[in-house]
Amino acid sequence: MSLVAERPGPGAARPYRFPEVVRRDGVVAAHLPGQALAVAVLLIDAGAAREPEGREGLAAVVAKALEEGTGERDSAAYALALESLGAELFTAADWDSFRVGVQAPVDRLPDAVALLAEAARTPRLDPEDIARVRDDEATALRMDWADPGPRAEAALRGDIFGRDKRHGRPLNGDPDSVAGLSVDDVVGYHRTWFGQPGTLVVAGDLTGVDLDALGATVFAGAGEPVEGAGGPLPVVPRTGRRVLLVDRPGSVQSTLRLGHAAPYRAHPDYVPMTLAATVLGGAFTSRLNHLIREVRGYTYGIRAEFGQSRRFGRLLVSAGVQTAVTVPALVDTVGEISRTEAEGVTEPELAVARSWRAGQLSVDLQTPGAIAGALATLVVHDLPDDYHANLRAALLGADEATVSDAAAKHLHPSGLTLVVEGDAATIRDELVASGLGEVLDAQF
Amino acid sequence: MSPTGYPWPIETARLDNGLRVVVSEDRTAPVVAVNIWYDVGSRHEPDGQTGFAHLFEHLMFEGSAHVAKTEHMRLIQGAGGSLNATTNPDRTNYFETVPAEHLELALWLEADRMGGLVPALTQETLDNQREVVKNERRQRYENVPYGDAWLRLLPLLYPPGHPYHHATIGSMDDLNAADLATFAAFHTTYYVPNNAVLSVVGDVAPADAFALAEKYFGGLPALPDIPPAPDGTRPARPTGPLREDVVGDVPAPRVYIAQRTHPFGTPEYDAVTVLATILGNGRGSRLYQRLADGARLAQPDYVSAYGVDLAHAPAPLIVSATARDGVNAADLEAGLVEVLDGLGDGIGQEELDRAKALLATAWWRQVSTVAGRADLLSRYATQFGDPARAGDRLPAWQSVTLDALAEAAAQLRPDVRVTLSYLTEESSS
Repeated sequence: MSLVAERPGPGAARPYRFPEVVRRDGVVAAHLPGQALAVAVLLIDAGAAREPEGREGLAAVVAKALEEGTGERDSAAYALALESLGAELFTAADWDSFRVGVQAPVDRLPDAVALLAEAARTPRLDPEDIARVRDDEATALRMDWADPGPRAEAALRGDIFGRDKRHGRPLNGDPDSVAGLSVDDVVGYHRTWFGQPGTLVVAGDLTGVDLDALGATVFAGAGEPVEGAGGPLPVVPRTGRRVLLVDRPGSVQSTLRLGHAAPYRAHPDYVPMTLAATVLGGAFTSRLNHLIREVRGYTYGIRAEFGQSRRFGRLLVSAGVQTAVTVPALVDTVGEISRTEAEGVTEPELAVARSWRAGQLSVDLQTPGAIAGALATLVVHDLPDDYHANLRAALLGADEATVSDAAAKHLHPSGLTLVVEGDAATIRDELVASGLGEVLDAQF
Repeated sequence: MSPTGYPWPIETARLDNGLRVVVSEDRTAPVVAVNIWYDVGSRHEPDGQTGFAHLFEHLMFEGSAHVAKTEHMRLIQGAGGSLNATTNPDRTNYFETVPAEHLELALWLEADRMGGLVPALTQETLDNQREVVKNERRQRYENVPYGDAWLRLLPLLYPPGHPYHHATIGSMDDLNAADLATFAAFHTTYYVPNNAVLSVVGDVAPADAFALAEKYFGGLPALPDIPPAPDGTRPARPTGPLREDVVGDVPAPRVYIAQRTHPFGTPEYDAVTVLATILGNGRGSRLYQRLADGARLAQPDYVSAYGVDLAHAPAPLIVSATARDGVNAADLEAGLVEVLDGLGDGIGQEELDRAKALLATAWWRQVSTVAGRADLLSRYATQFGDPARAGDRLPAWQSVTLDALAEAAAQLRPDVRVTLSYLTEESSS
């Protein structure tokens, strides 16, 4: 055996450059030479946060309903027209935006964007189709909720933000809220929100692409922009830790979701918060994954991150652990969050976090889809065009004191909500005895 | 349409120890992907050692001669890279994408665990990763509705003794029985340069990549006479249609219909790939149009048809649907069968064109990253002896004719079908 014993150092760094951001009357684009596929996404300010109270899941049903044909063609003809281009339509709502997008071979992009515009602006919205889509969506949610995770997520969200707030309820609603939607709800949501022009994001090889023509296609007949939804909401961490139990009889694992409220995406502390969360539970060698997976063998994986949208955010820690070690895994997890809050991060850990996050910008931002996503981030969070270029420098420049300060400021181990979805009969007594916090049955 | 699915340069070399090195230069982004395929998978596992190839893959991240436990992950992530590994019946792959200046680090790490894993193997590491893998099994297969479908389909599709008979995740009993010596022997036997392909794709000059490969891997000895996996190319035909009905805690009835087709890489399997796209990919597909939309038997988000791209024996085609509210498993199954049998009545040119367009887009998406390309090159070098054959797949799909489709459809005969049906507890009582 002859191995090279000495670990090689890096070669000369080749800096990553985010492509130039091209802005043109409602179009935000990036030129990616040589890419065979292009992505175009219409961003509409009509995310789930816009849903009226009691209508959770409405935006998601609208998303499905847009695929049920247009004024010009029925759903089968629409699918055939689109798929014959090799194009894929995606429609989705997150908290902040509604996205209608296509991915297509770049020479078919104008045709695909025309079909995108047809679905977004002039969907058929036949009442029978809407009722069917709604029922299907309710069934799909019921399927989803049979998996471990969604019920725990609903319980966590409700406890962190309050069930009386829209963002205290699940992004896509729950099976009951969706089943309760009416045809008028769906038609009304489209009428209210889809008249605004929105923003068209385009990423691909723009050599033969006429951005103005694409813009003209999707903005034809659009009305005025809508008023913004408002500024960031105050962060109110809970005082006192609590454990919420979601019963899943016979479960061989406990699904853990821990979290608390945190600042919004465009917050000035975004970079140090991201790095603190990376040290805590983002990288494979993070404190949590190292202890819970690599040392203890309790889990296949555990991660921590700040999930952030335009007006609010939260810390989220997720894992699935073997039932028998539920309590020790929770104790270890809370212990590492507490340690990170109290003691901050160390320079060796931060060095990994920094260069990983910075390197990921170049590694991840290779495809038209990824670049389109990055452009959408600029639009949704009102970030400047040089944001990604500066982000890299900011990640690499964040020092230990700044990141430790962010950990102290934005981690609240004593205000955590610990949701445990598992076999309640097996784990309840041990949870109560653990003293981790008051143990309650989850409401959602 | 591009005449090739791989319009980037490919250069290859073979080191004296048999390691095949494939380099594909692309300076678009300052990143480079490193990908190694070892020609060993769960098909090599004897009875009593199911899950070993995959558990072994975990051990490869736990340190080697010059790399401390967990240091591998820290070094790659600390360099800004992404990394992972997967095991399937055919092979085990290891891959990382790093900023280009860290290529040498990635190669050093891969060489160290190819040539120097055994000295670092400890009982403690094995015990820890055994628990991690058991948790992976619980999370992916045991704790989710229908999670065990693949575990049930394989033994129905492939007879005992066939290399695809058991699932890669293995059984809990075998995992519990795994001992350290077996893993040391596993490494010594299969993790050798002449059983591997190293692909490097991205911001690198081929000459530099070859020189680095020689520097880090060149000193590793070859192993003559690597034992082959059991031959799976001529499985006994099932004597008749097989089925399994499972009553379980599932939210709705679901039916899988599967059968063996042809090995990945054959023209016959290309036709199966196109046929599966016609059947189950997109809202314009037959399953969607006829079961989700038309007869309204199936939930629209849960119809699918796909081939599992295995190359060492006839690969499975799996067709599946989940019942809409109020529809029972028998009606759903009848609907699925009707769609399958209906293929024999002919397929339209429009359907074929739609499928080809979707497959082309899927292909270009796969090759849009250096990591996607590196994995392809490793695959084609490992399984077909020439990485450049990666460029043939897309044209092969594009050249599938209606006649070839009719031939493929004619082979979806009821007498070779495997049916796996999940029934809800209420519906079966």
